[in-house]
Amino acid sequence: MRVVTGVVGNDIHVVANRLIEISLKERGFEVFNLGVNTYLEEFIDAVIETDADLLLISSLNGEAEGWSRDLLFLKSRYDLDGVIFAIGGNLSVGEATQEELVPKYKAYGFDLVFHQVDLNEGLDSIEEALKANQKVEA
Amino acid sequence: MNKLQIDIGSTYFKTNANGELNQYFRNFDISIYDDLQNKCSQLLSNYTKDEVSICSSANGGLSTLIIGVTTLFSLKYATNIAFNSGINIIDTILYSKIEEANTPTDVIDVVIVVGGIDGIKSKFDEKLINYLKDVNYQNIVYVGNKENRDFLNKNIDDLVILQNIIGDKLQVVEDELKEYLTNLYQADITGKEDIKKLYEITSNQIYSTPYIVNNALPKLKTLFDVADPFLVIDVGGATTDIHYSTDLVENKNIMTSSGYDRLVFKKLGVFKSRESLVFGAKSNEFVYELLDYLGVNEHILDEHSDEATVVLMQLAIFLVLYQVSKNHNDYVTLKLEILNSIVLTGGISKVLSDGDIDKIIKFFYKKILNYIEIPNIITDRNYEIWTLGIEEIYNAE
Repeated sequence: MRVVTGVVGNDIHVVANRLIEISLKERGFEVFNLGVNTYLEEFIDAVIETDADLLLISSLNGEAEGWSRDLLFLKSRYDLDGVIFAIGGNLSVGEATQEELVPKYKAYGFDLVFHQVDLNEGLDSIEEALKANQKVEA
Repeated sequence: MNKLQIDIGSTYFKTNANGELNQYFRNFDISIYDDLQNKCSQLLSNYTKDEVSICSSANGGLSTLIIGVTTLFSLKYATNIAFNSGINIIDTILYSKIEEANTPTDVIDVVIVVGGIDGIKSKFDEKLINYLKDVNYQNIVYVGNKENRDFLNKNIDDLVILQNIIGDKLQVVEDELKEYLTNLYQADITGKEDIKKLYEITSNQIYSTPYIVNNALPKLKTLFDVADPFLVIDVGGATTDIHYSTDLVENKNIMTSSGYDRLVFKKLGVFKSRESLVFGAKSNEFVYELLDYLGVNEHILDEHSDEATVVLMQLAIFLVLYQVSKNHNDYVTLKLEILNSIVLTGGISKVLSDGDIDKIIKFFYKKILNYIEIPNIITDRNYEIWTLGIEEIYNAE
């Protein structure tokens, strides 16, 4: 399974980004890490170039709220059926619950949303979603 | 060793005879060879063919069409490699939009097809073949993923297949495409009848001038008190080239081996491209304020005088900086606020005074970036960058 990952927007939380990369590799993913300070367009283009199965964006200071709004528009420019779009980290500026944020990010175009969720729990959910996706495609 | 170096430009040619520089305005009514013989026969007679080195940017310019699957990887990487190989004229097509794309009416010198890392499914299908049927091109090269090679090779005549320029970590892999394009560019320049004849006075390979300048950049610090990141602006008669440290690039997802990139403003020159420079200037929202600041009015743009040439060169500097600033999106966006040095070279260095250059750069930084401090300005008045570049190449040989 191929995954494109990185930190969206003007966010330089590189430690979390590295931990995500290590965890993904441990789980057997082929990882394309675009690093910190990455724009949404670059994520989408990297998914196209690598035929990734998963795009996993992280955000640790709530920047994703502003930077992810064009996701649906960008997805509409390419055939990205079968790719899972996931986002995780601290997804709001100020206080917000998972219940409040999930509908918002799903409306942006994400399939899976993890706000302040433990990394391994989030990756377990992603693996389940990828398996289910494979079954549907098969 | 006795050495004579000659640079043929679109407007001037210059000579460097063992460190003594001279510049000559070209006579467009006769060939370059005859012009050189008329103006420098005495000089030429002092050197044997192996002591003469020539580079040229005159009459050059391959037209290139790049077809890629994404803007920020395949198209960006191939465009970058093409510019660094000396190519000036580049059009791009995003493959997902190829069915809506117009077919070029002119002959394309080289088509570059690129997309995808190795090890994934093919990116190009019948849509590409159908599109190419209507394109009149002379060369075509595929630098995308391995999986597509057989299909494209079967369906496209005379297809050249080179190493994928997108590496397995999404990094740029430029060597093979760069060499291929550089050779095409060289063949184009040296194949021109005008330039071919110059082999009567040299036994060395004739190179393209942008290639020579790009080669000098990693060693620029040996010539000038220049600090990274820096920008080199070469305002010529037909085009203006900039060469810049890749550290200046906004949203950088590409690293070239030299750490320096080149961008060509193909219709921004003070002689052959004068009309388009004036048009570009008049379309700029700051131009009247700028002319007022320089103490002239817009009529100067229609004059043919030394004063008008100075103003046009100042405008060219302003427009180039403006077009790579955050105010403009058509070209690469450079972080000009972190720029430490600006180096000016080319014909501009023989016309503008330090005061003229200082004035226009101060205007740009104050008006566009709201900065009072400006980068360190260095003017290459003796074409030392060109001399260093040409020596680097011939020494390497």
